[in-house]
Amino acid sequence: MTMIETHERVPSTERVAVRVVDSDVHPVPRPAEFAEYIPDVARKHYLNHKIGDTINYDAPDYAHAKAMRVDTFPAGGGFPGSDPELAFHQLILGAGSDIGVLEPGGRNHFIPEVTQALKIATNHWLANHWLDRTNNWHQRWRGSICVAVEDPQGAAREIEYWAGHEYMSQVLINAEPRPAWGDPRYDPIWAAAVKHGLPVSCHLSRGYHEELPAPPVGLPSYNHDFMVTYSMLAANQVLSLVFDGTFERFPTLKIVLVEHAFTWILPLMWRMDAIYIARRGDLPDLRRKPSEYVKDHIKFTTQPLDYPEDKLELTRAMEWMEADKILLFSSDYPHWTYDDPRWLIKHLPDGMRMRIMHENGIETYLNVPRTVPKLDGQQFVY
Amino acid sequence: MTVTQPGQSHSLPQGREHVVCTEDEIPPGEHRVFPIGRHGVGVYNVNGVFYAIANYCPHEGGPLCTGRVHGRSVVADHAPGGAGVVRDGEFIYCPWHQWGFELATGTTAVKPEWSIRTYPVKVLDQKVIVTA
Amino acid sequence: MEPPAQPAEPAPSPAQPTRVIDASVHVFFRSNDDLRDYMREPFASRGIPDVEMDWYGAPGGEYVPWAERPGMYPGSDPDFTGQQLFGDRGDRSDRGDHGDHGDPGVDLAILHPMTRGCGPDRHLVSATLAAHNEMLARRWLEHPVYGDRFRGTIRLNPEDIEGALQELERWRDHPRMVQIGVPLQSHALYGKPQFWPLWEAAADAGLPVAVHIETGTGVDSAPTPSGPPRTYPQYVGFMGLNYIYHLMNMIAEGVFERFPHLKVVFADGGGDLLTPLIWRMDTFGRPHLEQTPWAPDIPSDYLPGHVQFIFGALDGPGQDAAMAAEWLAMTGKEDMFMYGSSYPHWHTSDPYTLPAHWTDAQRDKVLFGNAAQLYGLEQAVQPA
Repeated sequence: MTMIETHERVPSTERVAVRVVDSDVHPVPRPAEFAEYIPDVARKHYLNHKIGDTINYDAPDYAHAKAMRVDTFPAGGGFPGSDPELAFHQLILGAGSDIGVLEPGGRNHFIPEVTQALKIATNHWLANHWLDRTNNWHQRWRGSICVAVEDPQGAAREIEYWAGHEYMSQVLINAEPRPAWGDPRYDPIWAAAVKHGLPVSCHLSRGYHEELPAPPVGLPSYNHDFMVTYSMLAANQVLSLVFDGTFERFPTLKIVLVEHAFTWILPLMWRMDAIYIARRGDLPDLRRKPSEYVKDHIKFTTQPLDYPEDKLELTRAMEWMEADKILLFSSDYPHWTYDDPRWLIKHLPDGMRMRIMHENGIETYLNVPRTVPKLDGQQFVY
Repeated sequence: MTVTQPGQSHSLPQGREHVVCTEDEIPPGEHRVFPIGRHGVGVYNVNGVFYAIANYCPHEGGPLCTGRVHGRSVVADHAPGGAGVVRDGEFIYCPWHQWGFELATGTTAVKPEWSIRTYPVKVLDQKVIVTA
Repeated sequence: MEPPAQPAEPAPSPAQPTRVIDASVHVFFRSNDDLRDYMREPFASRGIPDVEMDWYGAPGGEYVPWAERPGMYPGSDPDFTGQQLFGDRGDRSDRGDHGDHGDPGVDLAILHPMTRGCGPDRHLVSATLAAHNEMLARRWLEHPVYGDRFRGTIRLNPEDIEGALQELERWRDHPRMVQIGVPLQSHALYGKPQFWPLWEAAADAGLPVAVHIETGTGVDSAPTPSGPPRTYPQYVGFMGLNYIYHLMNMIAEGVFERFPHLKVVFADGGGDLLTPLIWRMDTFGRPHLEQTPWAPDIPSDYLPGHVQFIFGALDGPGQDAAMAAEWLAMTGKEDMFMYGSSYPHWHTSDPYTLPAHWTDAQRDKVLFGNAAQLYGLEQAVQPA
């Protein structure tokens, strides 16, 4: 990591081209920074009892690493992702991401309106502590309008509230609430998003009880089989979005599946196309092959890059799936499964690099410009 | 032979012997990182034996010496939970993706072809000397 | 009980050496009365669901029309099924496929009884499965004409380990029983230790374990991780993929380490998903070994010799895909796929419509080589 102190807090008038759009960066509130934003409806549920660490399916060496990159704990204490300055140094200057799309996690609640209230708090906190003039002086952070997908009307209201914010670039939902997204109950969310040109991103949030991504045939034993099979949740969301005709109802809807891996979409596209041909009578609303809806409407983030022993196999799979149409670079900073942009780009076929590292991000997200103010000492990825 | 200080601001050239510290400056179970080469070299004292490794993980390039040193999990049929840890302190785990490497050899049983760089260390007149 | 099977017309003797094993053929009772005839009291008088499902049943029917005859349940008559499987395929235009006319039938068929759901009462389920095994052996495997071309699946109830082991003992030495069968649906993943005695016994008997979607209405969870699907295509698209959860759990729990001779057949297709998912499991294999020292190898090392898939109508990159051979070779799938028709279900596949760009060696492996090796049928299927 290159530590370069930047004392100048006004952006340079010299601008540089955006070369790396990082689709997955995780900020967290400092202790006591968040409570003031919680609306009253959630306050009595959220703050009424002590809560300890709720970890299940623990990442390796959890007690020490907390599922984080060990070198991202701020020197003065605090949790990884709680210090915008450190994140700026490590990710923007040090690793060379030009734009960081911030995706806060946070707690959910079994009462949908309470989760919505916590998302509202998250959005205000993010706007005031990361996207504000002080912390985003360099204009590199972009925010997510976090919404509770299980409360579609509330979610649509929240999208309306933040649409127009100069640094809000997408809507962010959790992957786990049931049913799957093709259900028309979610239409108000898609309608609000497409009205404002916002993509809807989905990040896994793990969760508890009925919000675990519970497989129909039993729960995994370890974090290993749990995190690997998490992709199946996203695969099913794709099946639902496509076969339920969501993209016919919302022809401009853009979905981003974050951190669900992506190589599985290649055989899933074949499978969906085969089913479409065999069962066309069951799908009167579909006018195109499922793989065409995927390539036009769904993006996947690169992290965590799953790669075979023979790297050529990954290259071939990326060519066959037309990865330049569907991938967005992501690092997942500061989580332990972080992918460094300088490492990730080595795995991309030459002709796909520009699209995956930045072009697709600029096209997909709202408010991501082609140039940003130059920063002294920033790492150059490619 | 050069004398090397931790925290020294400039990198030292590679490929020669470096006196990095005295023996008592790295007690058993501890380590220090010296600015040798591009990424630095970590010197570890494992139960009185010194090992040196590159501060660089061959997987994605993480700063390896920021990681935690501990043992290796093995099956232990009669222990509660059925597992135990052996050879505590002999493995370094990368701070990014938690890949473990044996400090003595730089390798791992799972995938020996993914090994870290190790360097010869000797102790002469209480001085720790790394060839790196 | 069973009347002696009427001798049908003799099996057409193959014009050329045998070379196709259909590794997944579904067989049924003729009717509920027929099932109850094979059951003893008190179970014969119990409430038992039909083989068809209400939710998630296929619109338009479960079976290919050409496998149906008035008064005859598809897949319930060994003479008729034998003719359809083994006879010259003739003009197949009614089947909607495009193979050359006159293709010979398959040479051997692995039969898998479709039963009546994963019910809540393990005693009733085990008794129902035992009736299916009895029917399979008497009616199909001992059939005077086609018996030597049928091989059978011993249906066992993994929620009744003691009963399953007992039933396995009953059939394990039957010369035409070649594997055990368990449902894809389950309340716990198959890597969990409560199932180990069954896997151990199957490995000990030299019988692979076939995992197949159970028909009938059981007390299963919704078929996707997000609950009930709204369309049949989504149901079909996801349901078979539930094998991924079982497989990854079996690897992480060290089942293949513990039982080196255990072989598992995932019989509902979807094997193409193996490649990305095992890449993924390998990528995160190394750090997680600290939590699972009982499975010390990289996950993909546990696949060869342990895991097989039925290759069905919805699998592969498409008949005309130019990269089909390259894809099949990735992660060793060419040694893990076995052609299976799923006859008489609506997605019945034909052995002559496999991807055109596979190599000859790959086609031979999928059509008979892998199954012959798995089930020890090399003598019965001599390559041309």
